[in-house]
Amino acid sequence: MNDFLQLVFQGLGIGAIYALVSLGFVLLIRAASVVNFGQGEFSMLGAYLLVVFFNLWGIPYLIGMVLSVIIMAGFGLIFAYCTYWPLRFRGGLPVIISTIGASIFLQNMVLFLYGPSSVPVDDLFDTPGIQIGEVFLASQYLAIIVIAALLVGLQYFIFEKTLLGKKLQATSQDKEMASLLGIPVVLMIMITFAYSSALGGLAGMLVAPILFVSVNMAGIITLKAFAANIIGGYGSIPGAILGGLALGVAETLGAAYISVPYKDAFAFLMLLAFLMVRPQGLFGEKISEKA
Amino acid sequence: MKLLEIKGLTAGYGAGPVLKGLDITVDEGEIVTLLGSNGAGKSTTLRSLSGLVPNITGDILYRGQSIKGLKPEAIVRLGVSHVPEGRRIFPGLTVRENIMLGASNRKGLSRRVLEGEVDEMITHFGDLKRLENALGWTLSGGQLQMVAVARGLMAKPQLLLLDEPSLGLAPLIVQQVFRIVADIRSRGTTVLLVEQNANMALSVADRGYVLETGRLLVSGRPEELWNNPQVRAAYLGGSH
Repeated sequence: MNDFLQLVFQGLGIGAIYALVSLGFVLLIRAASVVNFGQGEFSMLGAYLLVVFFNLWGIPYLIGMVLSVIIMAGFGLIFAYCTYWPLRFRGGLPVIISTIGASIFLQNMVLFLYGPSSVPVDDLFDTPGIQIGEVFLASQYLAIIVIAALLVGLQYFIFEKTLLGKKLQATSQDKEMASLLGIPVVLMIMITFAYSSALGGLAGMLVAPILFVSVNMAGIITLKAFAANIIGGYGSIPGAILGGLALGVAETLGAAYISVPYKDAFAFLMLLAFLMVRPQGLFGEKISEKA
Repeated sequence: MKLLEIKGLTAGYGAGPVLKGLDITVDEGEIVTLLGSNGAGKSTTLRSLSGLVPNITGDILYRGQSIKGLKPEAIVRLGVSHVPEGRRIFPGLTVRENIMLGASNRKGLSRRVLEGEVDEMITHFGDLKRLENALGWTLSGGQLQMVAVARGLMAKPQLLLLDEPSLGLAPLIVQQVFRIVADIRSRGTTVLLVEQNANMALSVADRGYVLETGRLLVSGRPEELWNNPQVRAAYLGGSH
């Protein structure tokens, strides 16, 4: 039982990362109708920025994280300008392909600059963790869960309690109507890109001490976050969070009790099971195709 | 005084123009109605005025200044508010939030003042008081129309563009909507009204324009349009 609880805790930690990246996915789907397959690259770049600031330049860890988040927010604007803006009137598919192209470019750019080797990064805290009964709560997993919970709370506050949040929601629900009311739709979309990029970057920094920093982390995070989005219900904010957590727990338990090498396969098996049994996901609406 | 002048407006969405050289004027304080059958170009006229149709020729003057080519956000900031066909209430936001967003064109408004104005607007549209926390998708057609008009008025417009406000509503609700239209004018707002319900529209309007396949067929005061046999036969049921 204790082993099980230990695994669930670790699964929630990894799942919180998937949830944060998936949240970035969902926000862009809702605000700009963009499926951004470069979302995992935001995490990779965030993690590499931390490596540069902390490992190479010796800047204190927390300051390095804050700087990286700010830079990633700015990078989100550049990413939007290059991948979304020129194609915004061409429908969804060209933008998806554009984000895939950008993700390949970013991976190769990082490969060129830092090579294929994985880079270790220190944990956020020096203390190894807390022992509660037989369960050991490792500090990095604990930090991930707490920071993810705070971010979800902050996001709830912004979206539900502020006028900016209402304008962001209005933009995501009907861009044309939002523009007729005088809501600066382009600004709202750019804010969403910046926030999604910062969120992805922060997720990459948080998971860096666990996975190590490498070019390959981008692809797998993108796929897992997208799977979390489908499992939770395409475009659903609570779905992204719950889908991410469920995926993290499922793959951790699968790896521990069945097979470590097939760890990633459990996440995608779960995705396939949902697509067959409940394709609308946990929070999605069932939409039947018109004849 | 002329508030709006549309001069030789040609506009469309790619496959040939919908409007073909339209000329319309609206004076300050008037209710002017655009009549015509489906596809005549009534909604396209309003969409062109709001900056939603990118490819237009001719000119649109608002208070003597051209607004052709301006973005919708800029046009509503000048005081032109558009309540589009289908109401377009944000389904995931409450009635109160929808109405509040209607003031997005007004800069520097404090949250306290804004909340106060929303309270006033909800009180003015009495039926909305009990619905203020209901989500948009839960409302009936009549309720949606009330919210759409209330939201449009939050912009404090000088010119309100109303597109098919009676569409799909029960007769009693239609009468209520047109009472509101008359009330909006009495409070100093000019109204350009697009309607298929010509009888109701002419009952509140000062002047009307009848469009046919993107061109002006005839214009005049309501009594002139009532007495035009061509218009009566085509748009007024021929019996009035």
